[in-house]
Amino acid sequence: MVTWTMNDNEKLKDIIRDNLDVRADERTYDHMRNTVLDAHEHTGRTASASSLALTRSILMKNPITKLAIAAALVAAVLVGISLFSSSGSGVVWAEVAQRVQASRGVIFRLTEEIEPDPYSQRVDFSINHYSSTKARLDRYIGGQIVNTMYNDCGTKTVILVDHSHKSYVQDTNAKDMPDSLGIADPNNMIERFLATEHRELGQKTIDGVLCEGIETTDTALYGTRNPPDSLTAQIWVSVETGYPVRCESEHIRDDGQKRLKWVSDQFQWDVELDEQIFEPDVPAGYIDISPDEW
Amino acid sequence: MRIIEDELLKWRFKRGSRAALARIYEKYVNALLSLAMGLLNDPHEAHDVVQDVFVSFAQGTDGFEVKGSLKAYLARSVVNRVRDRARRKRSQQRRIDALATTAGGSAATDRTLVYSERCERLSAALAQLPCEQREVVVLKVKHEMTLREIARIQSVSISTVHGRYRYGLNKLRALLNGDMDHE
Repeated sequence: MVTWTMNDNEKLKDIIRDNLDVRADERTYDHMRNTVLDAHEHTGRTASASSLALTRSILMKNPITKLAIAAALVAAVLVGISLFSSSGSGVVWAEVAQRVQASRGVIFRLTEEIEPDPYSQRVDFSINHYSSTKARLDRYIGGQIVNTMYNDCGTKTVILVDHSHKSYVQDTNAKDMPDSLGIADPNNMIERFLATEHRELGQKTIDGVLCEGIETTDTALYGTRNPPDSLTAQIWVSVETGYPVRCESEHIRDDGQKRLKWVSDQFQWDVELDEQIFEPDVPAGYIDISPDEW
Repeated sequence: MRIIEDELLKWRFKRGSRAALARIYEKYVNALLSLAMGLLNDPHEAHDVVQDVFVSFAQGTDGFEVKGSLKAYLARSVVNRVRDRARRKRSQQRRIDALATTAGGSAATDRTLVYSERCERLSAALAQLPCEQREVVVLKVKHEMTLREIARIQSVSISTVHGRYRYGLNKLRALLNGDMDHE
């Protein structure tokens, strides 16, 4: 044992690293773990994500269900939810949802902001390619791709290639992965949006395209279990093509302390995406750092 | 490795994965308990804070809350809850020093968390630092966060954080002088 003379910060830091060590005993560890997982279970998030994806999958495949949905949309109009059109409008919103559903593939840019941002690492934007069952997300910083995520809902496979660190991680058995890719999925977003109370914004030109928009402040857009404090979200659709041109959401959480915003734009709809783009491209020499167990 | 694995865990968790949440818990629970103990010097409160952080995290899977480093996000959550507790204690007109002076007794009887006697002594010394310095020292040294990340958490400049770090280490060194041996 060496007596510490207190004249060396490095030794002091070693003492902190070595001795400030607290662990839960087995019983406490298990109890806390169960409490946390129960809390997650009771949010309903897992079930809702899966059921939403399942619903969407069924809708896309079953023409009878499509008719039923159409009937429901007509009923919505009758009770005053102006879902189908505005006066003099060229946009029929129910058709937008159907058109988006039928899109073979879509490419778009996603930009996210958070304030205050407590982190030093954040991407400028991501370029996302979505087909009905696969997705590829290329994240950029300073014009360079820093990482690429491949997702295959069919095989339940996720691979993240980190070019910054020349490494990759993969999960080839993600059984609990829902089919849906979440709220950033433009298809999912349209469905959720139309299910909320919303108002028409009229027309404006975005990137040279005449668009018509709708806006919601209904926090149910993000689910009912953990809604934000407040929310403003808009979708702008091309009058000519009937496809979304820009989607954006800004919401406040934590009693106004946190502002989160995301924008998806630069859409290319109904694109026949080359399957090869979804094939994970792991350059030679990259290290597989996948954990032994998920 | 941690960064890329965390990216995938975040991605899966946002989509509702229970397994990803379990993995995040497993990966960070003890690190957060150590962090909370370093900030609170009270194992009961450290336990409560960390459990609250994970429960809140588990319930908040909607949206894009977790950006950047998962580790930094969880650490910030712990720091915020520790601050909240300190504010509540002040509002209840309890002495802040109670955090330091009552911890020894409670630690002696609480063995749901496992820690050494040296940890107790170090934690008690840390509790005597001003809270801003204590945060910087623990986050920098134990949680391996950068000064820049800590500056964002404390909403101050990096130079201010650096000053707090230096003063914090100096004071801690004085507090521990002759009281702990380094093996």
